[in-house]
Amino acid sequence: MPRELSFTGAINEALHIAMRSDADVIVLGEDVAGGGGRKDQGIEDAWGGPFGATRGLIGAFGPERVRDTPISEMGFLGAAVGAAATGLRPVAELMFIDFLGVALDPLLNQAAKMRYMFGGKVRVPLTVRTNVGAGNCTASQHSQALYGFTAAIPGLKTVIPSTPADAKGLLLASIRDDAPVVFCETKSLMNLKGDVPEGDYEIPLGLAAVVREGGDVTLVGLGRTVHTSLEAAAKLAAEGIEAEVVDLRSLYPLDEATVLESLRRTGRVVVVDEATPHCGIASEIASLCVDRGFDFLDAPVKKVTAPHTPVPFSPVLEEAYLPTADGVVEAVLEQLGWNR
Amino acid sequence: MISREEALDVYQQLRTIRSFEEKLEALVMAGRLPGFLHLYVGQEAVAVGVCAHLRERDAVSSTHRGHGHCIAKGVDLTGMMAELFGRRTGICKGKGGSMHIADVDRGMLGANGIVGAGLPLAVGAALTASVKKTGGVAVAFFGDGATNQGQFHESLNLAAAWKLPAIFVLENNGYGEATPTEFATPLTDLAERAVAYRMHSLVADGMDFFDVFEKAGEAIGRARDGKGPTLLECKTYRFLGHFVGDPLGYRTEAELADWKTNRDPLEVFVAKATEMGLVSAPALARIDAEVDAKIDAAIAAAAEAPFPSPEDVLTDVYPAE
Amino acid sequence: MPSAIAMPKLGITMEEGTIVEWTTAVGSRIEKGEVALVIESEKAEVEVEAPATGFVRHYYAEPGDTVPCGTLLAAITASLEEAFDPADFAAAQAIPAEHASAEPPRTAATVNPKAAPLVRPDLAAPELRRRRGTVATPAARVRARALEIEIARVPGTGPHGRITRRDVEDWFARRSRLVPVGDGIALDVPRQGAGDPVLLLPGLGTDVSVFAAQVPALADRFLVLGVNPRGIAGSDAPDLERYSVAAAAADAARITERPAHVIGASLGAAVAIELALSTPERVRSLTLVTPFVVADARLDVVTDAWALLAGAVSSDILARALLPWLFSPGFLADPRRRDRTLRGLGQTLARAPAATLRRSVAGLHDWSGSRALELGAIAVPTLVVAAGADLLTPDAPAIAAAIPGATCLVVPDSGHAVTIESPEAVNRAILAHLAAIE
Repeated sequence: MPRELSFTGAINEALHIAMRSDADVIVLGEDVAGGGGRKDQGIEDAWGGPFGATRGLIGAFGPERVRDTPISEMGFLGAAVGAAATGLRPVAELMFIDFLGVALDPLLNQAAKMRYMFGGKVRVPLTVRTNVGAGNCTASQHSQALYGFTAAIPGLKTVIPSTPADAKGLLLASIRDDAPVVFCETKSLMNLKGDVPEGDYEIPLGLAAVVREGGDVTLVGLGRTVHTSLEAAAKLAAEGIEAEVVDLRSLYPLDEATVLESLRRTGRVVVVDEATPHCGIASEIASLCVDRGFDFLDAPVKKVTAPHTPVPFSPVLEEAYLPTADGVVEAVLEQLGWNR
Repeated sequence: MISREEALDVYQQLRTIRSFEEKLEALVMAGRLPGFLHLYVGQEAVAVGVCAHLRERDAVSSTHRGHGHCIAKGVDLTGMMAELFGRRTGICKGKGGSMHIADVDRGMLGANGIVGAGLPLAVGAALTASVKKTGGVAVAFFGDGATNQGQFHESLNLAAAWKLPAIFVLENNGYGEATPTEFATPLTDLAERAVAYRMHSLVADGMDFFDVFEKAGEAIGRARDGKGPTLLECKTYRFLGHFVGDPLGYRTEAELADWKTNRDPLEVFVAKATEMGLVSAPALARIDAEVDAKIDAAIAAAAEAPFPSPEDVLTDVYPAE
Repeated sequence: MPSAIAMPKLGITMEEGTIVEWTTAVGSRIEKGEVALVIESEKAEVEVEAPATGFVRHYYAEPGDTVPCGTLLAAITASLEEAFDPADFAAAQAIPAEHASAEPPRTAATVNPKAAPLVRPDLAAPELRRRRGTVATPAARVRARALEIEIARVPGTGPHGRITRRDVEDWFARRSRLVPVGDGIALDVPRQGAGDPVLLLPGLGTDVSVFAAQVPALADRFLVLGVNPRGIAGSDAPDLERYSVAAAAADAARITERPAHVIGASLGAAVAIELALSTPERVRSLTLVTPFVVADARLDVVTDAWALLAGAVSSDILARALLPWLFSPGFLADPRRRDRTLRGLGQTLARAPAATLRRSVAGLHDWSGSRALELGAIAVPTLVVAAGADLLTPDAPAIAAAIPGATCLVVPDSGHAVTIESPEAVNRAILAHLAAIE
């Protein structure tokens, strides 16, 4: 029976299920217990993570498996890689993906490459949960959408759900995957509520979802921009234009077939991404469409993304920074030659 | 103290590392090996002295100068040599090479191309041992250069905070690549850094197997007993350059000659072990011959072994679905 | 002495040119003034004429070669017998380097002024683009191949005239619904519904899409036959001086054998009147939407301007120019509706080439006044739909008065394009009119 849960609630539930079903799963990161586990002082579950996603884990699974780390991203991510290579299945929380700046080596040079460098003789079943995206006035160092960067590193997988139900199923699949997975949780979606099935289920990595059907144009979104795309699709429908919306869900592995199949039906693609435009997922999708969908194209592929700037702080600026439904509508009308 | 049998075993390992590295140097000079190598000659007593206490399930993380740690941890010589030749029969199928040589099944978490990157990996392995209660320990080998990396400090702090069964073996050979240690840090004993993490620390003569063996025994014993991590500094010296082909303009002939003449770890071991009545010249000569033959055989096998096929470039990126 | 053709210098900025093609083979005869080769320079193609009559003896450059102005390209001799050595001639023609750029080429290379759009290279560019290759999307090209259509024949409605997959499919559909009307001419007649036939006759420069709001209502009970006139949409465009109203009526009479309810708008109403007078047995009823029998001065001026603009500006811009003549201020006050109408009108006008406009306007002027005194002879039941704010055909109520027994609906405040502006009122009146006859 599905019930309504928030994005955070869905992730929390997935973590409980994963830890219950496999004793090798540990959770570590800054404030994941938040000083909890001190029963003598009456402090059982203090923070449960900066976003509350790990609430209750310390009480259920104890301090051995639920570890508050120092503010030491390189150290604990590196330790998580070492633990993954030697038999644990760690879920590390990198509070904001922006902190890759101080924690990159364990992911880039160790986790991603160990299996290859060692001739396939090791598994690194690590999941890095991390918060991405703008929309909450968290400014330049806590708002970036760097998933395109991790998706570009061979050996890593990168996942970004757009709904609570997908978040739960994708997180369970990520934790149980034997490759290192970067699991992106979109800041502006954390309070989004939606029906979430009960029990233990996985959504396979590398499978996109068609979340709205339409025959005139394909809008490709991920995370937050799935919702931007759906809003744009509603506006386009009022003009008599039916947009199909594809939620990528996984950035690597990338479900190329679903994107190309949708393009084949509609002849037009607009990629909507809140990341910056250069060398990113939007460009990757555009490249895919031109390379393998050339004969389906009935208009140039359009990218609707953030500009090539840092994320600004002021709400007014941040609103101008993020891609909007109106921007998507403009791009579609431009494809159709409807100059307004 | 060690038995006669163990002493011969120690000598065999010291000699194997020495010969392995010297033969590699000759192969590089002859243009028979691809890539570039960092050799362990001069530091043999550290790897052998520490690994003498380790079991197969214990984990080791290494550095760009990793052949000695591999040999001391029991990684197959033939597979190592084939790896260095870039052959399909290599221990990593020719995909890692010298700088990423590894054998996780033997607890060898890999040489590492990034200075300092092995420390958190060992912390993670110690975490596994702790959570899974295997009784195992994890050793990070690293050089003096790594102690100025953030990964060193984060790893020591994390291991100390969590009281993990980790041993940080600092091989202070006096130079970070070409730069003398005193250029990079005001400390003489880098082991002092442990104080900042309230971590147990020890300083050993890295050229003397027996001193390393004793101090490593203490550190590893503490870890197995749940007393937490140790920073063990081994004062050592590399007899060759930072890499094969290093012009070595940064240290004097006299300095090198002093270390080689008076403190060669093989000679130090032989002298002490002979004095203790543990080894005899004929037995050592027999081992020398055996080791040479074994390494020559590994070289011959590697040179004959097939290269990987070009399509192998695509495999081993992700686990099979 | 042989004559030379050299790369001409056409304008002060031209430094080099590229050979596009030679028009004749070596050894062929060529007349003075005949195009000898085509060159390309500064994004324009230019035809270069032969400087003398004679025989082409040698080409010094091949198509695709780019050479500086003044470079010797070809030699022509008066006869094939005349002695000629290519190397000697080239040496004799060589221009001293220090003069090469300062002086005009020594050889008289003439330029055909009609083929030299160098005055406005920016205007020439789109023309060139059309000639070079058709601008079409990849999907359109694949579809055209599958349907075995030559894509260059398909009019493009996408941005910058780009041919889209929909354009190819629409064009194919139009071709497949062609109805022959005699003289080797076929008209594009989309059909919908079943029952007694209804003929829809659109006005000047438009296709049956102007009846888009009427077709569904009519198709419930009738076989609706939308007649795209000559030169409109997929209909053939015979190369005639004018498309006369009489010919259009004759075409309409050949669409179906059965007597039909005829609905015409504006110039289409003129065709309907002509049809009712010339072939009354084919007309069961008449609906004249904003009709005229004499074009007033304003209609004359607007239609002339329309024909001129159609050849000069894009259909989007033409739609903007026509909008105030066709729709009422009240209708245009809603920006959303205005934008949508603009887009639709632009697409409709894109299906009427400038030549069709010119020919149809000539036919309109010829017909104007010719039937003004004969309305009393119309003997079929007639409905006249007039628009209260119609700027182009204000006489519609008077026409109703002149036709015996005709009823008249005046849609208050509507502009000339009343079928689009007030479809509900128009549909109600037409359905009532037809119901009374059936």
